[in-house]
Order: sequence, then structure tokens, then C-alpha cells
Amino acid sequence: MNRMTYPHFIWKTHRGLIVFSVLFTAALQFLIIFLITSVDTAPIFDAIAKQLPARLRILFNEQFMNRLSVKGAAAFGFNHPLVIALFGIIATVIPARHIAGEVESGTLELLLSYPVRRRTLLFSLWSSTATFLLFVIAGALAGSVSALLIFHFFNAEVFGGLVQIAANLWLLAVAIMSYTLLMSVFWKEAGKTGTRSAAVTLSFYFIYFISTLWDFIAFLKPVNIFNYYQPQKLMFGQQSFLKDAVVLGALIIIFAILAFRQFERRDIP
Amino acid sequence: MTDTPIIAVENLSKNYGKTVGIRKLDFQVNQGEIFGFLGPNGAGKTTTIRLLLDLLRPTSGRASIFGLPIRNNSLEIRRRCGYLPGNFSAYGEMTGTEFLRFVAEISGKETALQVQLVDRFSLAAGDLAQKIKHLSHGTRQKLGIVQAFFHNPELLILDEPTIGLDPLMQEEFYRLLLDFQRNGSTIFFSSHNLPEVEKVCHRVAIIRAGELVALETLEALKKKRYRRLHLTLREEVENVALPEAELLSQIGRVYNFLVKGNVENLLWALARLPVEDLVFPEPELEEVFMTYYRRDRDE
Repeated sequence: MNRMTYPHFIWKTHRGLIVFSVLFTAALQFLIIFLITSVDTAPIFDAIAKQLPARLRILFNEQFMNRLSVKGAAAFGFNHPLVIALFGIIATVIPARHIAGEVESGTLELLLSYPVRRRTLLFSLWSSTATFLLFVIAGALAGSVSALLIFHFFNAEVFGGLVQIAANLWLLAVAIMSYTLLMSVFWKEAGKTGTRSAAVTLSFYFIYFISTLWDFIAFLKPVNIFNYYQPQKLMFGQQSFLKDAVVLGALIIIFAILAFRQFERRDIP
Repeated sequence: MTDTPIIAVENLSKNYGKTVGIRKLDFQVNQGEIFGFLGPNGAGKTTTIRLLLDLLRPTSGRASIFGLPIRNNSLEIRRRCGYLPGNFSAYGEMTGTEFLRFVAEISGKETALQVQLVDRFSLAAGDLAQKIKHLSHGTRQKLGIVQAFFHNPELLILDEPTIGLDPLMQEEFYRLLLDFQRNGSTIFFSSHNLPEVEKVCHRVAIIRAGELVALETLEALKKKRYRRLHLTLREEVENVALPEAELLSQIGRVYNFLVKGNVENLLWALARLPVEDLVFPEPELEEVFMTYYRRDRDE
């Protein structure tokens, strides 16, 4: 099999979503930095923050715009709920559609009747999706960097922070993609696989916020993937990128190994 | 020609949980043979085919193709096989042309024969330019045939290949099978249509409820064959007796017989009767099992 045939096919199937996501994240990053640098938003956010209970104020600073600075705004773009949702969609839809979905439609049966190794097929899917996620992150990074350059806030420290955040977000998205792939190799319906994976991701996201607000469930944080993606803390040097990368990397490897093992031995109905 | 069977299946079983897919199948397919694999829907034909292609893992038993055990040589086997699935489905968002290019790239084979096959099955350029999801079932089936045959495989595994084809295209398909067989290909051909299998196959295996109930040459199958005869006479006749035929029912002037063996004597006998109409309906496959094989066992 020509090694690029299947990745090319996946690209053609999803290029609309990928191109939209690249443009969207780039534009969003640009817009956020533009707003922070050109409009005096500090009094507005200060007024809002004063109304918030203490815990919510901490959460607001941690997760969104730390000290309402340009650095905080640049990091916030990578943690905006819309951006997280977009990465979640890409990381969920593609693996669900191409294994469980292809079992459902019968095309996987046809594909595997050709001289194609199952592991080659799965690796093509995994690596293509990881690459598409990288494109989208590159778009976000390009949006941030161009805004910082245009508005004269670009410096090595901010750029270094953004690169770490981008790499961290990519690892988080690949981890989500890898557990979706694991679900996909067990099941035979794209819809169910996608829905269940999205439910797992949303649960992690929701539980992370709850556990930030209430101490009595704070013990759940270490077992939550969103604990290993903290853009604000990364930007301000309060969290170790290496630790996050190791944890997310280990999860990716475990999910991928399990997915490859299961796919090798599963029946294609 | 070699003595090694192209397909050898030994004691092959597949269970889905507590449900039996197939049970202890044993058969061989020889080189250059068109082998019919006959059975009603749900009998286990597709399960057997998927086991041969290593899409399913057997519960027990083994199978080899080209003398190579399937489990360890799946890639080499699939390189030399062409496959048409029962419910052929391709990527709906691709056009016919894109799909044929895609399968050529996946298999790494030349596309020269694709052009001939497209022509042979009257696939118009307009059809190939359309997205597959917009094509009729028959046109999609033709695409399926092209993708199975275009790389000139040594073994063709075809699961109910004529479903959706019009009679003219069915005839063209049978001619294609014979052409490939003459060029040395072996063909494993599943169907639930007895006359279709009779038309092209050399040997036939019959599967029912997951078990092989018969493995016959076509001649042997034909000798065993029972037919129904609906006879309408111009007037009611008492005690109508026909050679090698059993009267099953009579409603007025309409007589329903079960006929076995040579029809020549039967025709002579019919010539002496006031026949208004006579019909030999094609037996349903289930009827073949119920009448012929049950009888064999009883005898």
C-alpha cells in the first residue's frame, strides 16, 4: 500500500473541519490579544471580578486572564472553551468515524481485504489525526505571534511560554484522540463511539472545575487529564511543562498500545 | 496446475458468544475451479468468507489459501485475492473514479484492466464522475465487481456478487467469471440462488445453519435435483400418474407434483394428457434442503 493513500483520504474527508479550525483558532487568538492591547479592559474585568466569590475569582485568574495581562490573554486563547471544544471535536470525530464508523458502513471490511496491515492502517489514522491537530495548534500559534508582533508585545519569554502551551495542548488533544481510538476499536458505531468519548472528555472538564472550587473533591485532580494542561500557570512559570508532558505522553502511549492490541485481534463484522 | 488445493478448510468453527456462526466446516477448492458456496441467508456463507480473509478469527479449526495458513500469511494471501463483499459499500463521498484510483493505490496494482472492466460493465463516464452515495445499487455493484477483478487476482472470493445486477449484466458477469477461470483464476462464489450456481460452478458446497450439508459436483447435484411441476389440464382427470413424480396436491384441474430424475419419460406421459399449461417453478433454496436433503437422510 502506498503509505500516503489512507492519510490523504482522511485529509480529504476532514479538510473542511481542519481548515476552519486553523482559521478560527488563529483569528480568535488574534482577536483576544487585539482586545487586551487596544481596549482598556482592566476596569471591566476588575468590576466583574470584584462581584465574584473568592474561589471563583481564583478560578477566573487561574483559567482565564491572569492579571489581565497580555501574557495572560495570550495563554487564555489556548484555554478558551471554544478552542477546547474544537480540539475535542477533531480528536473525537476522526478516530470514531474511521474505525467504528467504517465497521458500521462496511468499508473497513473492504479495506482490509486488500494487502493492508491492520497496524499500518491504525497508525496512519493515529498519525494523520495527530498531524491535523498540530496544524490547528500551529494556526493558533500563528494568530498569537502575529498579533503580538503587530501590537509590539512580542518577546522571547512570551513566545517560549506560548510554544510550551501549544505543545501541552497538542499532547492533551492527542491523549483525547488516543482514548477515542481505543473506544473506536472496540465498538462498531461511529455515533456511539463519538458520543461516549465526548461524554468522557466533558466529564473530565467539568470535574476539573468542580474540584478546583471544592476542596473535598480536590483529590480527583491528579487523575484528571485537564490537571495536566494549565496554560496560565505554564505562561507564568507556576507549572512544570515536563511533568505535564510526561503524564500526557504516558497516557497516549498506554491508550495507543491498548488500541493497537485490540485492533489486531478484533473481528471485523 | 498444482495438487495443493487453493483453499483448504479443516474443522473450521466460529462462534459469536453462544451463537454458532459455522460449525466444523471441511472442504477444499482446487486450482482453476469455480466453486459455488450455496446456502440460505444466515447460513454462515459470509462468516466463512470473512474467516478466509482473516477478517474474523476462528474459534477452532484452521484454513489455508495457496497452501499458506491464513493467520500467519494474511497479507500475502490478500495480495493475491480479489474480494467482493456481500453488501458492497464504498466510501460514499468519493466519486467512482476516485474510488477506483484509491483501491489501485491501496493494492499497489496497475489500473489497465480497470479501464477494460469499466467498459465491459457499461459504467458511463457520467456515473464514475458522481459521488458513490448518489449511484444506484446496480451501478455500485458494478464498481464492486471492477475493484474485485481489476488486479487480475489468482483467487476471487465473491459474496453474492449478482445482487442488484440486471439480467444482461448478470450474463456479462458469468462470462467474466468464465474468462477469468480460463485464464487460471480460481473462483469461490457464494450465492443463495441455485440456478445461478448451476450456470457457472464446477462443484458446490451447501451450507445450512452453519453446517456443511453437501459437497457435490454439479452433475451429482443435478441428479439429486427435485423439481416442482404445476400442471393444469383442460379437464379434470382421475388418477393422474406420472413417471418419477409424486402427486402432492390437486385443486380442480391444477395438479402439483414433485418430480425427481429424468424428465424425458415425464414428457412422454404428459403428451398423452390434455395439458393446458405446465410450469416448472425454480425451487427456493430452502425447498431444496427440505425436500432433497431431508429425503436423502430419511432414505
